Amino acid sequence: MQGAPPLILQLDGVSKIYRSGDFSVNALADVTLDIRGGEIVAIMGPSGSGKTTLLTIAGALLRPTHGRVHICGTEVTNMDESHLASIRRHKVGFVYQSFNLLEALTALENVRVVIQNGSRNGRADAMERASHLLQTFGLGHRIHSLPKRLSDGEKQRVAIVRALAKDPDLILADEPTANLDAKRGHEVMQLLGQKALELHKAVVVVSHDNRVRQFAQRVLWLEDGHLTDHPGG
Amino acid sequence: MLLVARKNLFAERTRLGISVGGVALSVFLIGILLSLYRGWSQQVGGFVEHVPADLWATSDGTTDFVAAGSVLPDSLGVQLKLLPEVDVVSPLIVRPMEVYRAGTRRSDTFDIQLVGYDPKVGLGGPLEIAEGKSPPGPGEVVVDIEMHKRHGVQIGDRLVKGTKSLVVSGFSRGGDFIYTQVAFATLDTTIDFLELEPRTQRTFFVLTLHNPSQRDVVAARVEQGAPGVHMVSGKDFAGETRDRILSNILPILIVVLIVAFVVGLAVAGLTIYTATVEKSREYGILKAEGFTNPYLYRVVFEQSMITGTLGFLLGAGVTLLLAPFAQDTVPQFVVSVRWQDIAGIAAATLIMALVAAYIPVRRLSNIDPVMVFKG
Repeated sequence: MQGAPPLILQLDGVSKIYRSGDFSVNALADVTLDIRGGEIVAIMGPSGSGKTTLLTIAGALLRPTHGRVHICGTEVTNMDESHLASIRRHKVGFVYQSFNLLEALTALENVRVVIQNGSRNGRADAMERASHLLQTFGLGHRIHSLPKRLSDGEKQRVAIVRALAKDPDLILADEPTANLDAKRGHEVMQLLGQKALELHKAVVVVSHDNRVRQFAQRVLWLEDGHLTDHPGG
Repeated sequence: MLLVARKNLFAERTRLGISVGGVALSVFLIGILLSLYRGWSQQVGGFVEHVPADLWATSDGTTDFVAAGSVLPDSLGVQLKLLPEVDVVSPLIVRPMEVYRAGTRRSDTFDIQLVGYDPKVGLGGPLEIAEGKSPPGPGEVVVDIEMHKRHGVQIGDRLVKGTKSLVVSGFSRGGDFIYTQVAFATLDTTIDFLELEPRTQRTFFVLTLHNPSQRDVVAARVEQGAPGVHMVSGKDFAGETRDRILSNILPILIVVLIVAFVVGLAVAGLTIYTATVEKSREYGILKAEGFTNPYLYRVVFEQSMITGTLGFLLGAGVTLLLAPFAQDTVPQFVVSVRWQDIAGIAAATLIMALVAAYIPVRRLSNIDPVMVFKG
């Protein structure tokens, strides 16, 4: 009998308070969340609800004020910056709203540079893997194009390839459809969902775009820093 | 070399051009000034150094060959010749002065370093004859060929000072002091031309010894036996002459060299800093993707090193290319490019590149990768 997929992301009573002088803002309040491999979770919520804060804490970019964060069973809450960088390098892939490709690098190089950073393999291996992945995502004809020559849909596909290229267990996507039209947004989400399932990745998509819901196995709601199963709950 | 460093640097060609150009300008200025200093240094001491003498006798307190503030009696030459270690003694009368060419305006003067010598001995006379007749006869003078190049002096010209004149009979080489050149005449002609009183006064004596290794012994004995006489080797006297002329230029040269270095540093530093600031978001992306601060520092250092290397190659190349042409165009622009100086400039460029990267690197460490989730 096959056991449950491993826990990839665990947030346990996570709060984040931003302080500025006498003012303080509770961006996240006592958030608890478990996500397993192969699971796609959509976190919906309006602007300013704390979605990006949640994503950056889950991605080992930001430390919580209270609570604990585990990624692939490793507690990252109090890790120093070099260890956090290592976790991000090996365990986490990001997909951004504004694609965030390096403008001077071609599609192939954008993927290759991330692969090389995460492995001891040489340039040739990284090139081959990057090229193969881009072809798998239907970008074989664009591998030598600079980002400025790519459409927004193509840019986001390259960004997804980059996120998957280092073979992370956790993929965190921040409003991945926000800068795409309906058709491209649908394509991108379909691709992300399909590859995540195939490769048994845990995926968290934060968005206020309702179209995202149809690709998620679980939908959560974030409002004023509180995470719930139902809107307004 | 890191892909990100190379690609980002070469993607902004205008900025790279400005940066490389700034470093190249700095390298060129440093290179040309150093070469000029070396060239002048060689030139102004060259004649004294190349006179094949073991010792120069001067009066105490004499600073150098060009000022020639030495007065010695002719009888000293006889005394020196009596020393058993001494082989040849040659008296010299040396006097800096201004002359003009007959047929030109009296105000069109130029400097010469008149050297009266004994053609029978030859020591202290022309080092090499380029053209014309040598030794000079009565009323004649052999001038350095640089005087022909700079002041248009021809063989047969008369060089005038007051009511006296000398006819140019030939050109010699190796007597250029940049702002003045040597002109050789016989002792009698020089005495008449300068109207020396008493006629027995001399400026220097140049000596060769049977055994040059006895130089210090002979010098000590002469100084002890003839108070007021100072004995100096040709090399040391050349050094003193160089110091006298170049010590006034050196502080200015050092200031200009520092300015050139700071200009290169400022241009390279500012362009690399602005490039880093403009690419802050991309550095944030790299941090978010798990690239460490040392990796990002390496990106900036490599960019700075590439800029420095290209700037050095361009600047050094232009220096090597232009220096000979500059010398042909302006005769006073005497340059000598030494590989040790080029190596020194390369080291200075390396320091320039490292310092230029320092401030951008500090900024990198403060970039928060969370910024990449905004907008």
